Amino acid sequence: VSPPRGRWPVALAAAPMLLLLALPVGALLASSSPSALASGVRHPLFGPALALSARTTVVSLALVVLAGTPLAWWLAVAPRRATRAVELLVDLPIVLPPAVVGIALLETFGRRGVLGPALDALGVQVPFTPGAVVLAQVIVSAPFYVQSAAAAFRRVDRDLLLVARTLGQGPAGAFLRVAVPVALPGLVGGAALAWARAIGEFGATLLFAGNLPGTTQTVPLAIYMALESDVRAALALSLVLAGAAVVLLLALRGVPALWARWHAVRGPEEAR
Amino acid sequence: VRRALLWAGVLAAAGCQRPETQVDLHIFAASSLSEAFTALAPGFEAAHPGVRVRLTFAGSQTLRLQLEQGAAADVFASANAEHVEALAAEGRVEAARPFARNHLVLIVPLEDPAGIESFAQLPRARRLVIGTPQVPVGAYTRQALLRAEALYGPGFSAAVLSRVVSEESNVRLVRAKVAMGEADAAVVYASDAVGGAPVRALPLPDAAQVPAEYWAAAVTGGPQRALAEAWLQGLGAPEAQAVLTRLGFEVGR
Repeated sequence: VSPPRGRWPVALAAAPMLLLLALPVGALLASSSPSALASGVRHPLFGPALALSARTTVVSLALVVLAGTPLAWWLAVAPRRATRAVELLVDLPIVLPPAVVGIALLETFGRRGVLGPALDALGVQVPFTPGAVVLAQVIVSAPFYVQSAAAAFRRVDRDLLLVARTLGQGPAGAFLRVAVPVALPGLVGGAALAWARAIGEFGATLLFAGNLPGTTQTVPLAIYMALESDVRAALALSLVLAGAAVVLLLALRGVPALWARWHAVRGPEEAR
Repeated sequence: VRRALLWAGVLAAAGCQRPETQVDLHIFAASSLSEAFTALAPGFEAAHPGVRVRLTFAGSQTLRLQLEQGAAADVFASANAEHVEALAAEGRVEAARPFARNHLVLIVPLEDPAGIESFAQLPRARRLVIGTPQVPVGAYTRQALLRAEALYGPGFSAAVLSRVVSEESNVRLVRAKVAMGEADAAVVYASDAVGGAPVRALPLPDAAQVPAEYWAAAVTGGPQRALAEAWLQGLGAPEAQAVLTRLGFEVGR
């Protein structure tokens, strides 16, 4: 848009931020060596933490998608007046410091919490269990999915749904066969963001689920604890997590493009 | 606009400028020293005009890590000798000396949900918290559990450790879990049970007891080496020893 001569000052002004973002990632890569990585992978904290992170984030992602999709749909179709307050509530975990979420969860599910006595009577213990890890992840990651899904659902053409209904689909059929496929790139993108947030969850987990290797110690917690005994292990764990994040980011960018291409080939626009 | 920016810059520069006499003495201390060192700071500042004592509390192993990574501190005080010795061996601290002792106690929430009345009943707990193996209190606790096997038989330590639901990185986080009622019991220092924490302290049997020794050292090449030495010597003075005693530590021989 701007003339070529005018771009240089902008690029120069943009450089410091770019450098600041790139430098820590570069340093993380530069500080590693294959042997350090190998010794880190052999660290006793590594395997259990990775397995726990994988297990808990898959469960929390499933819960977020299952419970978040109806909420996102409601946010997309309900009158704006009704959704405004709910949207605020959905956004809250994004702005709340994770430590606050952790304390709030203890005040809810802890022994002296709101639900504590009832849960205790049922013999259910939530804090300091893998279930607590999942719960913390669901709460901090759900907003990313719900927001993204609601935005995607809002872009679904209502006429398409009406057409589906006139062709004999019930409300559920119209939703599953029309709204979900059309909104799918947004749903997948939101799910990927939510998953990334769940994998990185630290503060709420530490307070609400505690830190026990093999039971509640996820990879971010293992990094923090490993730092106090074996810096190389902390570094190796960090690299694995950073690698997973990069793969996730690439998928996030790649999936919608692939989706669009696939649809362009198969879809009605193929005559174009 | 340009003039406004200029004035903003001048004001900012003036705001950053400190009185020339003001210097900061940065002290890294074990979490269990929180009240003690906080109580000692005003007296030190009064005896050394223009000096401001800046205190940082965390698990001794965390502070050691920070010092190893080049954190700018003047004094390091650890809840064991090990972390000080390790730093001394690396040439990062010097003039190390012990200055106080502590012993372990068992704490339970005021309502005592698991009905624990003695150390022997610890396996009754449904949920226990403990320090990580690196934080001094975690290492002392594991030692105490092993020593207790002489009293309660082999397997006592394993039975207790099987109830652990979380490993905390400093003794105050351990205490907090008991104070909140989330843990049925935990082992902390006697000084942690003195004061306002809503917990009840029970003694450990002598045979299981592990004495904790606090060591302090000056950071080699620290910005305020002379003041660091003054703080270290102050720890041995009668006033400081009285404060430490009042807060549940043991001093002298």
